[in-house]
Amino acid sequence: MNNPALLELKNLSTVFPTRRGQVWAVDSVNLSLREGEILGIVGESGCGKSTVLLSILRLIRPPGKISAGEILFRGQNLLKLPPRQMRSVRGKEVAMIFQDPLSTLNPAFTVGEQIREALRLHHIVGSARLPWPFDYALRKLEKQRVLDVMQEVGIPSPMDRFAAYPHQFSGGMQQRALIAIALVCGPSLLLADEPTTALDVTIQAQILDLMRRINREHGTAIILVTHDLGMAAEFCSRIAVMYAGRIVEQGEVDQVVGKPQHPYTQGLLNCRPRISERAMRVQPIPGNVPDLAELPPGCAFAPRCEHFQPVCEAGAIPLIDCANGHLSRCLIHTNFQRQPHWQWGDRVGAG
Amino acid sequence: MDIAPGALSPLARQQYLWRIRLGLIRRNSAEFLRELRKHPVALLSGVVIVVYILAAIFAEQITVHDPGRGNLRLRLDPPAWQAEGNWEYPLGTDAQGRDLLTRIIFGARVSLAVGLISVGISVVVGLVLGALAGYFRGRLDSLVSRFADLLLAFPFLIFAIGVMAFLGPGFTNLILALTFKGWVEFYRLVRGEMLSEKTQEYVEAARVTGQSHLAIIAQEILPNIINSVFVLATLRIGYMIIMEASLSFLGLGIPPRIPAWGSMVSAGRDYMLVAWWVSTFPGLAIVILVLAINLFGEGLRDILDPRLKIDG
Amino acid sequence: MRAVKILERILATIPIVFGVAIVVFFFIRLTPGDPVDIMMGQGGAISEGEMDRLRQEFHLDEPLHVQLWLFLKDAVRGDLGYSYVLKRPVTLLIAERLPATIELALGGLILSLVVAMPIGIFSAVRQNSSLDRLSMAGAFLGISMPAFWLGIILILLFSVRLKLLPVQGRLSFDANLQEITGFFVLDSLLTGNRVALLSSLKHLVLPSITLGAPVAAVIARVLRSSMLETLRSDYVTLARSKGAPEWSVVLKHALRNALIPTVTVVGLQVGILLGGNMIVETVFSWPGLGSMVVSAIFDRDFPLIQGSVMIYAFTFVMANLIVDVLYTYLNPKISL
Repeated sequence: MNNPALLELKNLSTVFPTRRGQVWAVDSVNLSLREGEILGIVGESGCGKSTVLLSILRLIRPPGKISAGEILFRGQNLLKLPPRQMRSVRGKEVAMIFQDPLSTLNPAFTVGEQIREALRLHHIVGSARLPWPFDYALRKLEKQRVLDVMQEVGIPSPMDRFAAYPHQFSGGMQQRALIAIALVCGPSLLLADEPTTALDVTIQAQILDLMRRINREHGTAIILVTHDLGMAAEFCSRIAVMYAGRIVEQGEVDQVVGKPQHPYTQGLLNCRPRISERAMRVQPIPGNVPDLAELPPGCAFAPRCEHFQPVCEAGAIPLIDCANGHLSRCLIHTNFQRQPHWQWGDRVGAG
Repeated sequence: MDIAPGALSPLARQQYLWRIRLGLIRRNSAEFLRELRKHPVALLSGVVIVVYILAAIFAEQITVHDPGRGNLRLRLDPPAWQAEGNWEYPLGTDAQGRDLLTRIIFGARVSLAVGLISVGISVVVGLVLGALAGYFRGRLDSLVSRFADLLLAFPFLIFAIGVMAFLGPGFTNLILALTFKGWVEFYRLVRGEMLSEKTQEYVEAARVTGQSHLAIIAQEILPNIINSVFVLATLRIGYMIIMEASLSFLGLGIPPRIPAWGSMVSAGRDYMLVAWWVSTFPGLAIVILVLAINLFGEGLRDILDPRLKIDG
Repeated sequence: MRAVKILERILATIPIVFGVAIVVFFFIRLTPGDPVDIMMGQGGAISEGEMDRLRQEFHLDEPLHVQLWLFLKDAVRGDLGYSYVLKRPVTLLIAERLPATIELALGGLILSLVVAMPIGIFSAVRQNSSLDRLSMAGAFLGISMPAFWLGIILILLFSVRLKLLPVQGRLSFDANLQEITGFFVLDSLLTGNRVALLSSLKHLVLPSITLGAPVAAVIARVLRSSMLETLRSDYVTLARSKGAPEWSVVLKHALRNALIPTVTVVGLQVGILLGGNMIVETVFSWPGLGSMVVSAIFDRDFPLIQGSVMIYAFTFVMANLIVDVLYTYLNPKISL
């Protein structure tokens, strides 16, 4: 890790007050991302992986809020930025694409207009000297840029599609339009929240290809949030596995997928059907996703874990460095020895 | 159901079903009252409505003055708390020297009766026609729906004023004018619900067991949509009361000799400059009752039919 | 494409308009008693021979379907009959009174929009704030208050007690206004008559409030609840993630979509505006269509009542048509 980090999350925690008490949707998450890197965040639904992305953009809906930590983007703490400067980061420096393209595109505006809006907001092509409708010259320039981007993300005949409404697009085209919105200002970081979940398998591959090409050609760093460990393994260079709001395992793809350390990751890998094996055997993880409002003081995975020891439920467990930055949050690596002063955000060596 | 109903005689089957239904109603009402306690505004509104109803029923017993005959020496007497007021006439008297409070209490009879009867008839007509049209479709549906659309082309009050203009004032005519258009709302609600419920699996299942169409409508589908009808009916009562008051205000509703809130406000208009109370209090009686009905209906909707809720 | 759809929609209202005319036709024909007797005010004011002559003149001796046909033919030509009380054609009487009524209706509609839109939006943005609670309580009061009472209370308060605004009418006597269009606010602007402008605006305030209050209450409630929904939607999150400022998120992305259900409801409120019109014009002695109809009822001037009710229904149908067209422009997904 010689390159300076593009994005660094330090002890990030996001809480939502509910009727049954505070819920830590994201709890002491530490992550870092270099320029042009692709990081995957993997976990089941409700594990807080999407909340991490929304927290980075400070788009957590009240009454939820970021309760602690730092979000350093190019060394600058986003949590300290005044709203106006935060807005100039959103869309321009850090852009996001969402899970369900149909509900994410505004049904009342044309696709072209929605892409163009991002350009106008960040004065990418220029600033309007006259208000609408006298900004014709600028709009013409912006439209050209929008058409280029639509072409780039693979929307055929962009001229015709510019004035079309989202519901006139197919699901795959809608997702391409969303990517165009994210891409049009040339961000250095793309946050992708399950971008392919709502799509057909063939379209999924196309969208992933498109994102890979964007990463290669523009050097855009990407955080891909997905529940599909296999997809993350194909697409990302590093992977973080989340469970109940915490990162439980993190490392290079080869480390996490090749030598999974945490019992949860191992379970996830066993869940995947493998065609290569003679009999397709799927082993689901027993038990259910825990209730975030009633987490045990110790490991959240303990009730479902085959290696369970009473000490697992005693208290906070840090990420333990197993080998060359391969981190796992499991007492199995310390032979079930726990230090009472450990915090969830800590990182300690093995043994 | 633990016994196969098909094994019973038709009569025994009906008795069996009714036993279950009565049990459900008893359990539901207990649950309903518990729920109501969580909606203090609706509960308070319910109490206000009950007070109005009791006042209307026992109007003779709780008043001391004659609503129709006044004391001409005490014309336009101000309310009791004003300087020239008099506790014998707590809300003052009107231009004929009649006690306003007495007349307001008697006026509740007209408003509540018109509201309840017109909505009651509208519910029955709308429910029957809507259920039949929605279930069987066909010529009946297109005929009734056309007619309903036609009635919808008239604003309600305009329609009622037009009808009353030709029929002349009177209680029966008033009910006729209000129900002639009032059933459409219920018809549309029931027909729409019927169309969507008809495709549900439980209806299919009932048909497979050989139940007749009418039995399916009455026993299977109606219990599922009756809550929405009930909520709408509550809200419409308030609307009908305003309608009646508006018609009476114009002199087109209840004949002037019967105390009605609308005509009382209208009568007070001539004395606006000298006696503000004559118009104000009967109108206030309408506002409080209708507000209570609307708030109660809104609470009812929260409890019975969360789907209909318009506020997040 | 859209133009074709709109045209289709316009054509579809024609049978409804005819249906309305037929219903109005039967209003009088189904009234018990002899139509001529009823029309002439009942009670043998005129001789039997005279009645026969009138029957012939009205074609009442013809079969019902011929009568209907003649009635519709006249109506299409713009002839709504003749008022025997006012001794003038109904169409002319209505045309004279219409500007006053439209002026008042526009006043009520504009006032309710100006009040209800910001309240609805703000209540949704600041849900459960004290302003939200207060406005929603006010909205409940608005739909529970009969218009005639509100009008009287406003008169008692602002005219009788505070002496700020006039009690009734459209214009004070000292404003010599030359009538051009019949819309007094417009006329005083056209003739540059400042006294008349001020006076006509002052006369408009209380009736407009009375007419607009229930409409404003409904609009505020519906707008609030649809804004609450759109503010929670994914596209609002997208707009924020693009870096859009909060005013644009609320007033552009959320409001634009919240207007779609609101417009439908506003369309339904036109009925309240028209019905309320009769009440409000009576309370404020506003010389419009509504107060004319009410006095026509007491004069038993049936041709005038019949013609006016038809105009009201026609306006209502047209208003709904306009709302439908507006709806297609707001909602690109809808194709009528």
